[in-house]
Amino acid sequence: MTARNFIKTIPMKLYLILLAIVLFSFFSNDFGLVDIQKTAIILAAGIDKSEKGFTLTAQIAVPKGSDRAQGGTSSVEISAEGETVSDCVSLIFGKTGWVPKLVFCDLIVLGEDAVKEDTVSYLNYFLRNEYMPDNCLLAVCEGKAEELISSKSAIDDASSLAIEKLFSDAAEKSGKVMTNTLKDFAIGYYGVSESSYLPFIRMTPQKGSQQAEGGSSGGGSGGSAGGSSGGGEEEQIYSAEETAIFLKGKMVGLLSAEQTLALSLLEGNVYAGTFTAKDGERPVTLTVLRNEGGVSLGMKGAPKAKLTVSVMARLCCRGTTAPIEDISSDAVSPEILESAKEVLTGYLNGLWEVCKQTKCDLLELKKSLYRSSLKKYGEWKDYLLDAVTPEIVAEVNTLK
Amino acid sequence: MKITGTLRKDLAALKKILPAEDILTFDFESEAGLAFTAVFADPITDKELLGEQVIRPLLRYEGAPTAEEVGKKLTSPEKRTETDLAKLSEEVLAGNPVLLFEGMDEAIIVGTKKVFVRAVAEPSTDVAVKGPREGFIEDVKINTSLVRRRLKTPELKIEFLNVGRRSKTYVAVCYLDGTSVQKTVDDIKKKLQEIDIDIIPDSSYLTHFLSSRPYSLLKQIGTTEKPDIFCAKIAEGRVGILVDGSPIALTAPYLLVEDFQSSEDYFVPPYRATFTRILRLLSLLVAIYLPAFYIAAQLFKLQLFPIKLLLTISGSIRDIPFSPSLEMLLVLFVLEVLNEASIRMPKYVGMALSVVGALVLGETAVSAGFVSTPAIIIIAFSGIGLYAVPNLIEQTSVLRLIMLLVAGSVGTYGIILVTAFLLLYLVTAENFGAPVLAPFSPVVGKDLKDSLIKYNLGSLPTRPQTIGSKNKRRLKHE
Amino acid sequence: MNKLSARQIYFFLAFVAPVGKLVVLPARLAEYAGNDLWIPAAVQFLLQAAIVFCVLLLAKRNMSLFELLENTFGKAVAGIAVLLFGLFLLYAGLLPILEQKLFVQGVFYDTLPSLLAFTPFFLFAAYLCSKPLSSYGRVFDLLAPIAAAGLAGVLLFSAANADYGAVLPVGASGAEGLLRGTAYSFSWFFDSVLLLFFLGKFEYKKGMAWKGALCYLGGGAAVVFFLIVFYGIFEGTAINQLFAFTKTSKYFSGFTVLGRVDYLFIFALSLVMAFYCALPLSGAIESCVQVFGRRKYLPTLLAVGIGVLYFVFTWLFDYRFGDVMSAVSQKAFWVFPVFTVLLPALCLLLKRRRSHDRP
Repeated sequence: MTARNFIKTIPMKLYLILLAIVLFSFFSNDFGLVDIQKTAIILAAGIDKSEKGFTLTAQIAVPKGSDRAQGGTSSVEISAEGETVSDCVSLIFGKTGWVPKLVFCDLIVLGEDAVKEDTVSYLNYFLRNEYMPDNCLLAVCEGKAEELISSKSAIDDASSLAIEKLFSDAAEKSGKVMTNTLKDFAIGYYGVSESSYLPFIRMTPQKGSQQAEGGSSGGGSGGSAGGSSGGGEEEQIYSAEETAIFLKGKMVGLLSAEQTLALSLLEGNVYAGTFTAKDGERPVTLTVLRNEGGVSLGMKGAPKAKLTVSVMARLCCRGTTAPIEDISSDAVSPEILESAKEVLTGYLNGLWEVCKQTKCDLLELKKSLYRSSLKKYGEWKDYLLDAVTPEIVAEVNTLK
Repeated sequence: MKITGTLRKDLAALKKILPAEDILTFDFESEAGLAFTAVFADPITDKELLGEQVIRPLLRYEGAPTAEEVGKKLTSPEKRTETDLAKLSEEVLAGNPVLLFEGMDEAIIVGTKKVFVRAVAEPSTDVAVKGPREGFIEDVKINTSLVRRRLKTPELKIEFLNVGRRSKTYVAVCYLDGTSVQKTVDDIKKKLQEIDIDIIPDSSYLTHFLSSRPYSLLKQIGTTEKPDIFCAKIAEGRVGILVDGSPIALTAPYLLVEDFQSSEDYFVPPYRATFTRILRLLSLLVAIYLPAFYIAAQLFKLQLFPIKLLLTISGSIRDIPFSPSLEMLLVLFVLEVLNEASIRMPKYVGMALSVVGALVLGETAVSAGFVSTPAIIIIAFSGIGLYAVPNLIEQTSVLRLIMLLVAGSVGTYGIILVTAFLLLYLVTAENFGAPVLAPFSPVVGKDLKDSLIKYNLGSLPTRPQTIGSKNKRRLKHE
Repeated sequence: MNKLSARQIYFFLAFVAPVGKLVVLPARLAEYAGNDLWIPAAVQFLLQAAIVFCVLLLAKRNMSLFELLENTFGKAVAGIAVLLFGLFLLYAGLLPILEQKLFVQGVFYDTLPSLLAFTPFFLFAAYLCSKPLSSYGRVFDLLAPIAAAGLAGVLLFSAANADYGAVLPVGASGAEGLLRGTAYSFSWFFDSVLLLFFLGKFEYKKGMAWKGALCYLGGGAAVVFFLIVFYGIFEGTAINQLFAFTKTSKYFSGFTVLGRVDYLFIFALSLVMAFYCALPLSGAIESCVQVFGRRKYLPTLLAVGIGVLYFVFTWLFDYRFGDVMSAVSQKAFWVFPVFTVLLPALCLLLKRRRSHDRP
């Protein structure tokens, strides 16, 4: 073969070599990667403080096979204890043989003990992990996260799915819950306010719900995997109406359901929430149709924070009998409006007091000052919350 | 070798060139005693016409024994004289009898070829709901007549060439003088004349010789079975090529966008045409990319699936013994086999095959746990998408396989790189001076109006600039 | 295909050039300049736009870079200078390729794959580089709408989730932060040098210099807006967000139903990025072609050689991106302004007419 012919056939030879490489890698299918069949799809993770350091409980989705008649999502909960969260993940891998993947992890629950110290040490692994979706929901629970994650939900196949329902958009718009994500929690923590909040989940057993066969929907984990308890487990109902507030990563207080509503109203999030005022001595419930809210900081003279909430409400329910004319009307009487205003002012006052007592800059006054004047921020940043006086303005309007 | 004028000698020489048993001779004498011999190829000569137009008039011939005089007596409209024996033998093989007679050094060729043609019918590969239903057939003369009927202008030039050492296939180069680019016409004629192959059974043979990159995976010459499309392309300045024996006409230069246009697009409202063109493109993309992305997502990037879909897929493939990529390759292989078999099978068997393929193979394979339902759905969807642009099936099915192999090896990034390769290859490709990817790359603003987007006819007053026609305007006044 | 049109140059400046600034640069700028990250970027874009203006003015002379230099300094000096520019492009191209590698490993896979997964890029780069630089014209035509759609899609899904107040107060990072941000971001802005190698491959059209500069600024404005959105979404955690453009759009609420549709736009931008990363390598090959002439197998051999060289570099620095970045963009940052600002601007002082054109 002449040199020219050799050069001419080089492209063809290269194509063939390339084809051989592609075919080899296709059939060997191995770049050290983990395909769907070797993967543990983690739906939710719970983290607790333990003697060793950390306990991680992962709720892993279990495929149900091709029989679609079963429907729903099966899951299994597996726990591991280690010196770091990463250790725990490795142990879970060791226990199951599945490679844990966090790309679908939509919920991280922190146990009550974990939030008593700097929470971010518990979240470090997740914040560093490039494959972790930082828009996953973050919450604190009463007691241990392991128990919550491994519990049997009365309303869904997996506890995490039931909890995520609590944090849905609709729930958030009702003002019953203040949701937060890993990313936003970290922003709060690393921001000038150093404050943030997380929904606080409580678990209560559903009366008369003793399960006949036992185990979670996925059959529980059992054995060395630990996790959920066995037969006869009670179904649980979850609620997250309270909100844990954080300063420098530590939980410093708990907002009541009313204060949570006040915080939601301040953020202007509420579109279908309800609250109860008085008509004379009798209770009446109002539905919030539209809401605007905000916090502004005035730095003329002494620092002053103005908390403003404006609500458009309609009458939803009276706790008494009423004539048909009353039922047919949604309008709210001036007396009820006045009472509603007082109720909301009370909620906002409560919220302010909790923030002040805990020194948690939940209303981001420092951030607001930082953005408006770097100089004043330098002057006031250490004692702004002590010095600021609140002005609370609650307005309630009704359909006319 | 020339004719000598001695009938016996000339006949012997001709028989020597044409020793085949189906080459027959018919000897007869006129009333004046002049001896004639007609040499003809038995199966392809219309003997009735030969008797009517040649033998009967000559039986009573009393004139001088010259080709000119004899020729005047023949009632056939197609006749000419020739002295070269080799050329005479070619005519005999083409079905045109040769008339030799004593004392003359010229022979007469008579056009009484027997033509076996099927009726002009709608082509099965290019069906139009609205618009002309005629399709080309295998006879080049009928095909040229179909073209001539649509372009009644002296500017329409049809030049015949013989291609193929043995087949001597008629190839008609059609173009509009003054509208087509002369350089393209000359290039095509030159390339056709340079072809040195024994036979040309179909027009597809010519594409290899006309292409600047003959080994390219991608198409380089346009094809159509419909005279209306053929004429429209010629009117845009392209050169058309009709090949005897082939119902598929060729056009050059070819632009990729052509295959996303259908004749019907010009007969329906522009918004509908635009919609269907975009739909065709999307279908093609789905056909090529869907199986690849499905595999890449399963192997390398689960996040491409929404969680609920992922759990469904995960459940479906749980008991499948193959890796996701191998499973997909298997299903694709079965689809291609079914496709190939159903095209070749007789119609009544084809129906049974569809049932076997769809129900027995598909359903049983899923329930036996060989393949998963999502894999079948993906391949089925891809298979349907492929047929949205029928002219590119050969290319897209290979591309789909390449994408699948790369996706199974390297994942999504591999798909993106192959796409980059493909785009780079396409942007640098040219056909007879026209960029294949025009009017998108290079961007030709005016031509974009009849690309994926179809403007109203009134907004398209000029011919496509990409073709490079000097006669730019086709619509004088709106 | 031998010449680029003015439109193709504009497309490069407006749509292709900005894409390389969306991967690692935003997080680095957030590290250097905090909430003022957009200011150093804006400064860089203004500076480069001015140089783009100068380079496009050079196009009036209708000469290649080599011819321009040869005209003033003679063949030998011109050859050395052009090769130096070529070497600079090889140097400048290293960081984007390592970035691209990290990006591919991080974004296209759920678990960190080996370098092998990125190897096909070098095949592509070698194939692309073996083509003459003039074939980029059509590539730009094709990439422009893809880049525009990609960036628009990402911005569309991201813009609503940003807290735009996060970039306040302007100047919070102080002069030091701004200077650091500007100085350390030079290594991402070498488009003027790329443009230098296109000289002689397109004809100057009236107003092309300011139109080109405006196009570049337009692309720059999109990047600056993206940086603001980026910081508005991540605020203090922005420095932790490598591969910025793949991160900002995932918070779009519609994805709960549709799945991650934003990946379509991310893939579109990745496609453009593959071409953009190979562009400095093509420029380096063009420098050799200008000096040694377009010999038959020279571009192909150089393309293969550079492909192999970069593969080796990438393999060597597989786990040392941080070191390379700190060396290239911080310690030796001054190399960039010399080659991307000073020298191209000085080119305006080169002789205007060809020596043999003079009376």
